[in-house]
Amino acid sequence: MVDTTKNTKLFTTYGVKTSKAITTEIAAKLISKAKRPLFVIGTAGLTPEVLDRAVKIAKAANLPIAATGSSMLGFVGKDVDAKYINVHQLGFYLTDPNWPGLDGKGSYDTIITLGHYKYYINQVLTATKNFTNVKSISIDKNYIQNATMSFGNLSREDHIAALDEVIDLL
Amino acid sequence: MSKLTTGSFSIEDLESVQITINNIVGAAKEAAEEAKELGPMGPTPFPGIATLRDWSFTLFDRYEPVYTPMCDQCCYCTFGPCNLEGNKRGACGIDMKGQAAREFFLRCITGCACHSAHGRHLLNHIIELFGEEMPINMGASNVIAPNIQLVTGRQPKTLGDLKPIMEYVEEELGQMLATIHAGQEGAAIDYDNKSMLAGVLDHVGMEVSDIAQVTALGFPKSDPDVPLVQVGMGTIDPKKPVIIAIGHNVAGVTYIMDYMEDNDLTDKMEIGGLCCTAFDMTRYKREDRQAPYAKIVGSLAKELKIVRSGIPDVIVLDEQCVRADLVQEGQKLKIPVIASNDKIMYGLPDRTNDDVDAIIEDIKSGAIPGCVMLDYEKLGELVPRIAMEMAPIRDAEGLTAIPSDEEMKALVGKCVECGECKIACPEELDIPEAMAAAKEGDINALEALHDICVGCRRCEQVCNKDIPILNVIEKAAMKAISEEKGLVRAGRGQVSDAEIRAEGLNLVMGTTPGVIAIIGCANYPAGSKDVYNIAEEFLKRNYLLVVSGCSAMDIGMYKDEDGKTLYERYPGRFEKGNILNTGSCVSNSHISGTVHKVAAIFAGRNLSGNLAEIADYSLTRVGAVGLAWGAYSQKAAAIGTGCNMYGIPAVLGPHSSKYRRALIAKNYDESRWKVYDGRNGQEMAIPPAPEFLITTAETWQETCVILAKNCIRPSDNNMGRSIKLTHWMELSEKYLGIMPEDWWKYVRHEADLPLSKREELLKKLEAEHGWEIDWKKKKIISGPAIKFDVSAQPTNLKRLCKEA
Ligand code: SF4
Ligand code: SF4
Ligand code: SF4
Repeated sequence: MVDTTKNTKLFTTYGVKTSKAITTEIAAKLISKAKRPLFVIGTAGLTPEVLDRAVKIAKAANLPIAATGSSMLGFVGKDVDAKYINVHQLGFYLTDPNWPGLDGKGSYDTIITLGHYKYYINQVLTATKNFTNVKSISIDKNYIQNATMSFGNLSREDHIAALDEVIDLL
Repeated sequence: MSKLTTGSFSIEDLESVQITINNIVGAAKEAAEEAKELGPMGPTPFPGIATLRDWSFTLFDRYEPVYTPMCDQCCYCTFGPCNLEGNKRGACGIDMKGQAAREFFLRCITGCACHSAHGRHLLNHIIELFGEEMPINMGASNVIAPNIQLVTGRQPKTLGDLKPIMEYVEEELGQMLATIHAGQEGAAIDYDNKSMLAGVLDHVGMEVSDIAQVTALGFPKSDPDVPLVQVGMGTIDPKKPVIIAIGHNVAGVTYIMDYMEDNDLTDKMEIGGLCCTAFDMTRYKREDRQAPYAKIVGSLAKELKIVRSGIPDVIVLDEQCVRADLVQEGQKLKIPVIASNDKIMYGLPDRTNDDVDAIIEDIKSGAIPGCVMLDYEKLGELVPRIAMEMAPIRDAEGLTAIPSDEEMKALVGKCVECGECKIACPEELDIPEAMAAAKEGDINALEALHDICVGCRRCEQVCNKDIPILNVIEKAAMKAISEEKGLVRAGRGQVSDAEIRAEGLNLVMGTTPGVIAIIGCANYPAGSKDVYNIAEEFLKRNYLLVVSGCSAMDIGMYKDEDGKTLYERYPGRFEKGNILNTGSCVSNSHISGTVHKVAAIFAGRNLSGNLAEIADYSLTRVGAVGLAWGAYSQKAAAIGTGCNMYGIPAVLGPHSSKYRRALIAKNYDESRWKVYDGRNGQEMAIPPAPEFLITTAETWQETCVILAKNCIRPSDNNMGRSIKLTHWMELSEKYLGIMPEDWWKYVRHEADLPLSKREELLKKLEAEHGWEIDWKKKKIISGPAIKFDVSAQPTNLKRLCKEA
């Protein structure tokens, strides 16, 4: 198993609260247990090896996808429930309990993030971290301090292997 | 006969007699005439913090402040540091939102102070040279100071008239700065209101700066046919002595250029610039359309790169966006640094009062690494002479930080791929991977980093192997750098009244699909080509492109298959399908000013002291959107926020989420999408556009879709709306692979539908949204939530309604 909790090095810090580093097992458990999850995938998720795994995770856990940036291109015709939304807008809407969500069925209790610039998603997640009870789980290759839980910093190969483990565990 | 003016006078031969004239017969008439010319005064001349609060709050009602704090903590006073995480309150009682709003506000007043202090310096300098009576000359227009007129109600005619405007900005800045103090303001939304005022004053300060320099320094005046300027690191001939000017305030550099011209040196040496001083060097004395000899090296991201190349023989600094380590970096390569503005002195000895020859001797001998020189006459002589003296010395020593082939091999070989640099890099560049490839002899990946790398050297400082990573990247990119030669149109200044008259109707009706203003700095997420790609996409679609500053430079760096830049392919008028460059940072005021002018000149609205009404007009009728894709500075935060207060939305790049505050609307909450109809005060529904006043996006492709959508305005006529919908849908299909989900919300009438898709879309409206369609006539019978009424007068201000 890939140790996804080892390297939680930060170059700069966003302050007091730091996300909990999690194993692939815990990530898979949290994803399957979420009542109203949303899989938030950014444009860096478009590399073929990540995209393939993102689709598999979405299908295995029956996750609706918020395709941010220009990642939507990757999900057309993939038989997943993906909708485009701007990630900053999404971060704001998640702070509104009355947001109807992407499907009209209401807001979300857990978001799973993948394929983002770390500086950008860290910033967007300060909105959920400080102003909501929404849980955020980052399964990206960078340690994301402002998520509730996150993988540590991983090499490209380790990251892909970790995503494969998550898929197997779902 | 000379004319009497008010003021104090002494009479010769009459000792101790002084006559004070407070009023002159006829002065009242003159004032009345001036008032007639200005039109009636609006309700908010010279606004303070509270004056425009109603308008800010009207905007915030739809465009809600969205806080993304940078840090959980506040460490502002000695009660702290306080942990505000989870919107807790600190020891002083401020909560996380309040602190985030305060931090954002601090950025806005800093930006405003920067432009205004620049304006003040230039104005004093130019008045000293040319006198207060010098008439303002911005080209053939009546509305010559739209921001000043809108905000203060004054219409300056001479340089002296700009002084009370500056005084007003300075007074308000002092009032606002005071509210940063702990225990001054508690409500986040009131900090946000102050940010809006700071943004507005920023545009006033910028306008003063540019009016002063355009008027007095021979800059192009509202000229669509300004010359092209060479831009890029590859344009500088390193064999000649090279002067590199960095900053934003061209005052001192004009003396260097005068000296070069007077001594016949313009073709014997090179003068290039970075950031906006570069732009203003190429505008200096170029109203005659002569091609400039000064060159633009590029943006802030190129500062360290050009120094490390060893090409400059002397660097002259003025103010703003100057790296703090230039003296140390310059010293390593014997490049003297001359500071010419008292805002940046970098610990250098002040040699203002010394003899030029003595200073040159001290620099040549290495006794001093450079100096402060605030006497511009001396500066003009000193800098070219240093360049000429240092060039042969530096050439003989072959001074450069770029490694030789052998050194490169050894440096790359030292890398252990630990990944520390990658964690430190603000652009998240995969340096270890590129190093690994280079070890195998493939430098392509390293070369590719050059354009995305912002030259910050954060990576070098964490490398345990002491690899000068930036130099390694630059070495790999030597060929690409030598080919970095583009063209940009010199700054033209304002858009003329005549151009507004000709284009206004198209803008308000939407038949010109939108104005896209690409401005700001170079902190791009994925390199400088993004801004070129966006500009090209919208020019091909016949939008009107307005550009300025570092983005304008970067757009000029790329060419099509025929080797032509966008500035060569598209003309520079204020007309659809054109790309016009207003000029440097302070010329951004002409972009906002252009939008005000549409309301004033095309729609005949009163500009003077009438901010809310004009901004309301722009928000509901002028499809203009700003894009600051690489915004990094506090100035950019102020510019964008000023635009917001003026009713102009702005999109920023992903790095700008770090500004901490956006203004985004809930597009799903119908109660927010109502305005009044000015004819009768009744509520009318509008489509959710623009969806934000300031927000960020992730990629340039997403940005294209966002920009097209947010050019939609309630006032679009059917043809305008159908053109705008066509572009939005096409861009969404091109870059996101889908039709937008919510396109139907923008349809009021079948004529709004893009012609080529009308039938297909009518079917969708019927099947997916339950709209009733008359298929014989291909007409919508019922369905749209928004009615189309060509003569409706959408407004957010009840007071403007006839029967209110
Ligand atoms: S200003 Fe307020 S929140 Fe900040 S450190 Fe002081 S007491 Fe704490
Ligand atoms: S920090 Fe230095 S040694 Fe480590 S990967 Fe980067 S360049 Fe190589
Ligand atoms: S100098 Fe370039 S590569 Fe190094 S950290 Fe800065 S942006 Fe990244």
